[in-house]
Amino acid sequence: MGKRIEFEITDNGIAYLRMVDKLGKNIFSEPFLDDLIKGIDEVSEQKPKVMVLSGLEDVFSGGAEKETLIDLSEGKLRVKDLVISERLVHLNFPVIAAMEGHAMGGGLVIGLCCDIVVMARESRYGAVFMSLGFTPGMGCTTLLQEMVGQFLANEMMFTAKRFKGKDFENKGTNINYILPKDKVMKKAEDIALQIAEKNVKSINLLKYTLSARKKKLLIEARLQEDMMHQLSFGFPETKKNIKDLYAGE
Amino acid sequence: MTKDDVVAVIVENILDNLDDVEEGEIDTSKSMKDYGANSLDIIEVVSTSMRELKIKIPRTELADIDTIDSLADKFLEYVNK
Repeated sequence: MGKRIEFEITDNGIAYLRMVDKLGKNIFSEPFLDDLIKGIDEVSEQKPKVMVLSGLEDVFSGGAEKETLIDLSEGKLRVKDLVISERLVHLNFPVIAAMEGHAMGGGLVIGLCCDIVVMARESRYGAVFMSLGFTPGMGCTTLLQEMVGQFLANEMMFTAKRFKGKDFENKGTNINYILPKDKVMKKAEDIALQIAEKNVKSINLLKYTLSARKKKLLIEARLQEDMMHQLSFGFPETKKNIKDLYAGE
Repeated sequence: MTKDDVVAVIVENILDNLDDVEEGEIDTSKSMKDYGANSLDIIEVVSTSMRELKIKIPRTELADIDTIDSLADKFLEYVNK
């Protein structure tokens, strides 16, 4: 079994957390989520000034796993992916998402939970929840609006269409950078280096203030999304959709 | 509309949705999965193609299709209905 998460912290206080589950494509399997949370906790303990969160070159994260979705649709499980969103939003240092590869569903939301986002022109980003028959989760309903604006967020969530990074150019979104894939990591590092020059205590203070809005948005999202999930995962069509869609994989 | 037209629509959507696939490289006797398509890629190719062809086929009828060719045949059936 290959590694799912790896991290390092440089002398100048930059943490690099990488989701590297090549086999599982950074899909939220139970062990992947456990490792990710453990990785985030271990990084936090070392009090970095800033963290760069990245995935594989081709996949940042594929979001939820089929088994989880089926369990949810059969009422065996309650959505707990939100733990990841909360963990990220509550960190006391800024996080830069270096999203070189595709990010779908919950995988996209991981990026939304970060403070600064760098995307790749060639990769695809989709709030694909509705393609599977259920409503968006993990805070997507409020956080996606923050990043791309309300109307584009509506389009992304209602159609579930996967947008290419370059589709976001000239749309007036809040995405910090949309670059050719091979420039994404470099840009994230460059931003991290600039932040790492600052005083860590002031970084933590500023993060506390700047993240207040996102924490509030996440609480709002949770109220609505939990209710919608209880309903939409219960629809018989949803269960069928999930099974059909993942057939043969 | 001929089968070639239908195939052209599907191929264009495959090129649009899959990375690292070049035009001319696609062998229609193969499955989209052979070109690295995952389930979300396939759903997007199929639903976009159906929108462009102005047809609507129930998912159950598409479940057993395993090549681009047989997908085109099924589409053609509905286009000419």
